[in-house]
Amino acid sequence: MTKKIMIADDDAGIVDFISILLEFEGYKVIATLNGASVLDLKHDLPDLLLLDIWMSGVDGRDICKELKRREETRNMPVVMISASKDIEQSAIDSGADDFLAKPFELDELLRKIKKNMRS
Amino acid sequence: MLIIGTDAPAYTMLDVNRAYLTATNTTREDLIGKSVFGVFPANPTDNVSKNIERTIFSFEQAIQTKKVHTMYNYRYDIPIPGTADFEERYWTTSNTPVMDENGEVKYFIHSPSNVTELYKLGEREKAGLEALKKQREQLHSTFMQAPVGIGIFKGQENVVDLINPPLCELYGKTADELLGRPIFDVLTHAKGMGFEELLENVRLTGESFRGTGQKVPLMRNGQLENVFANFVYEPFRETDGNITGVIAIATEVTELVYAKNRIEEAEARARLAVDAVGLGSYDLDLVTGEMITSTRFANIFGFDQPVPRSEYVKVFHPDDLQGRLEAHESAIVSGSLDYEARVIWRDTSLRWVKVEGKVSYDTTGKAIRILGILLDITDKKKSMEEERKLVSLVDNSVDLMSILTMEGYNSYINEAGRKLLGFESEEQVRQIPVSQLHTPEDFLLVQQEVIPTVMRDGRWAGTMLVRHLQTGEVFPVFNNCFRIDDPVSGVPIAVGAVMRDLRPELAAKQALADSEQLLRNITTATPIGLWMSDEKGSITYMNQTWLDWTGVSYDESMGDGWLQFIHEDDRKRVTDQMIKDLDAKKLYESEFRLMHADGTTHWCIANGQPQYRNDGSFSGFIGACVDLTEQKLLQQQKDDFIGIASHELKTPVTTIKGYAQVLEKMLKKKGDEKEAMMMSRMDAQVNRLNSLIGDLLDVTKINSGKLQFNNTEFNFNPMVKELVEDLQRTTGKHTLVENLGASAMVYGDKERLGQVIANLITNAIKYSPHTDKIIIHTNVKDDEMTLCVQDFGIGIPEDKLEKVFEQFYRVTGELQHTFPGLGLGLYISSEIIKREGGRIWVNSKEGEGSSFCFALPLSAERKAELQLQNAQAGRTAYA
Repeated sequence: MTKKIMIADDDAGIVDFISILLEFEGYKVIATLNGASVLDLKHDLPDLLLLDIWMSGVDGRDICKELKRREETRNMPVVMISASKDIEQSAIDSGADDFLAKPFELDELLRKIKKNMRS
Repeated sequence: MLIIGTDAPAYTMLDVNRAYLTATNTTREDLIGKSVFGVFPANPTDNVSKNIERTIFSFEQAIQTKKVHTMYNYRYDIPIPGTADFEERYWTTSNTPVMDENGEVKYFIHSPSNVTELYKLGEREKAGLEALKKQREQLHSTFMQAPVGIGIFKGQENVVDLINPPLCELYGKTADELLGRPIFDVLTHAKGMGFEELLENVRLTGESFRGTGQKVPLMRNGQLENVFANFVYEPFRETDGNITGVIAIATEVTELVYAKNRIEEAEARARLAVDAVGLGSYDLDLVTGEMITSTRFANIFGFDQPVPRSEYVKVFHPDDLQGRLEAHESAIVSGSLDYEARVIWRDTSLRWVKVEGKVSYDTTGKAIRILGILLDITDKKKSMEEERKLVSLVDNSVDLMSILTMEGYNSYINEAGRKLLGFESEEQVRQIPVSQLHTPEDFLLVQQEVIPTVMRDGRWAGTMLVRHLQTGEVFPVFNNCFRIDDPVSGVPIAVGAVMRDLRPELAAKQALADSEQLLRNITTATPIGLWMSDEKGSITYMNQTWLDWTGVSYDESMGDGWLQFIHEDDRKRVTDQMIKDLDAKKLYESEFRLMHADGTTHWCIANGQPQYRNDGSFSGFIGACVDLTEQKLLQQQKDDFIGIASHELKTPVTTIKGYAQVLEKMLKKKGDEKEAMMMSRMDAQVNRLNSLIGDLLDVTKINSGKLQFNNTEFNFNPMVKELVEDLQRTTGKHTLVENLGASAMVYGDKERLGQVIANLITNAIKYSPHTDKIIIHTNVKDDEMTLCVQDFGIGIPEDKLEKVFEQFYRVTGELQHTFPGLGLGLYISSEIIKREGGRIWVNSKEGEGSSFCFALPLSAERKAELQLQNAQAGRTAYA
């Protein structure tokens, strides 16, 4: 069964090339430029969430915390992405399963996805 | 005889005998039954003999003692019948008591016997003896009163038979001590000195002896004295011509002898005195050329004993011989010799002598003799030399030195003084009265204060105004003057003065004041707070700038008053740092927030330079305090800007990189290898761009202290190996040679340390364009993990070695454009290594290559160190 990956980033370029890559790699991709919309997920959850930290108007870590708090989304793997390497620890602290610093090698992204993908 | 009753006081006569009646020219009727004293009253011629009282006493004695009582040789005159005259009679009468049967005195018998003739005969004899005695006494008196000592010594033992007071006095004894005793038993100190023999000789031969000025040791007035006497011993002949003793007649001449001795001593002393003052004496016979000299004379010439004249002449200094000759020649004419010359002693030392002498002439006027003295004047010459030096000192002094006479004229002013006051010659000094050297008003001070004070107290010191004789300029001097007294009489004879021109000093003071004012203006104008503290850290100075900042007075800022304006959170840190640096006496530095009077908060950096006194002791800090607020703000803005900018840059970089990689993947899948390769190169360029952005971001973080480390414990060599292999893949030309030695566990940020190693290797590659080998060495040494990256490239000039780790350092000169980069890599690397507790260095030789190395503490040490730091930080926080 095709795995479903959701990507939340406020930069359209990033959302675009990650979507192309993941579809190219055979994943089903759901993308959103509005980080807060992630919190609308109730059922039909993706198998993994790629979540940017610095998004306009919203901090990815707050979203992550909320997701990990909620019963229905608690088990959804979250890989957080940020331009700042220094906030890796705070990302982990907010409940993220993994962290990726921008810019990244695509192979690294794919490796982390595979590693954290809910089986 | 009379029988008299015991009826005192009448004493009635009871009976009488014929003899009694005859002796008294009385009849029986005249007497019987009558009181004895009624019949025989006291003689009218005798008022003094108290015969009645004596008779009554005798009666009473006889009655009371019941024994005979006799009255001897008393006078009681008997009247001559028919005349009014009395006949002189002397009587010796006994009163004999007669007892009754009861043993009581019944009566007593009064039996006088006429002793008149006998008495008168005795009286005549007595008068004759008296006259003889008187004659003898007169003789004795003469003997005793004679002004010379006379004594008679009898017999073999010379017993003192007679001695008069002058001789007693001479002997220092009393007559009682001497009379009847052998003379030499008393005069023990003179015993055995030959006097006994002399006396015996006179006594035995009858020849007299005369001694003159004989010394006799005698004990007089409690002390032994040598007494000198002139004396004569004469034989003492008895009337029969026999010699039984010696008459000694002596006169003391001690004073005379002493007087003579004193004259002799005085002569000797005079001789000694001549020697004592160092005078040598000589007697030159001009006829024979012989000269007699005293020992002292010889000594002055350096000889132990007098020597012939020619020897003396030899030791004269050759230069002085001519002068000596001339002096002698003129002495013959003038009669007196006087010259000074040098003599050279055997030890080559030089002595100055002064020769004086008087010339004697014979009757024909020919000089025959020079008698004189010689004086060693070396010391005097030396002191004259000292004096000359002193004068030279005074002459060369820059201060005025003068001697003012009591008449108000200067007798001397040294050259500096003459110049100072405008004297044109030494004559002028003595001619111009001191009043001319002051304005009339200023001279009043001299007259009314200076001179009286000097006369009274001996000195005066102070500032006064003097006037230049030529220019008339009035200027201040500091005058130190003192009274000079005559050394003998103590009377003031002059006033000495030492004056210093105060104009240069005043000018210097003014200059100092000007410079102080300038400094004050500068310190006030400067936008930097300036401060000083003592060695305890207590503030002793703050400039106006600081006072303006805090808005409180100078006094309130002193001590620790300034601390109240330091932000509460910084105060403790600031004072702790200050105490620490005071103790260490090292440069103090701290940053803190200062609360300004207007309510704003300003960041300041203060530093203090340790100060030392002339004796080398630490005196505190002099420091500055710079307001950093603007700078901090700008720095913050810059850091924020770079942070945001680099973050914002990363998003498009990530996007470009992402598209490039996706495209590469797609092209590869399609089999378009060439296009895929181009995409890969594009990706590599994006990585370079990202690396530059990363450097900028890191520097920003370093500057703001925000560089973060995720320390973990890891094995060093495997990390290096992995990294080298990765980097080898990115470089085609260079071979990275691994020369890995011992490895150890280190504790640090693996990624950051990797960043350093990558930086060192990429630099090595970059700066060795013409060689292809890079060697990476690792080893463990002295508890440190070391790594060196060695290249054989262009190297670094020695004068630049220090600078390569500085921010923005780049290779300069022709090669600048050949080696692109921001100049941040090594700076970031060195900061990372330092933050990880290690050290970084470089060895290089221009043209031969470089070796960049770093050393890190081993894991255990590093962890212990960090723990300690944390503990300290914690303590500080809770302190």
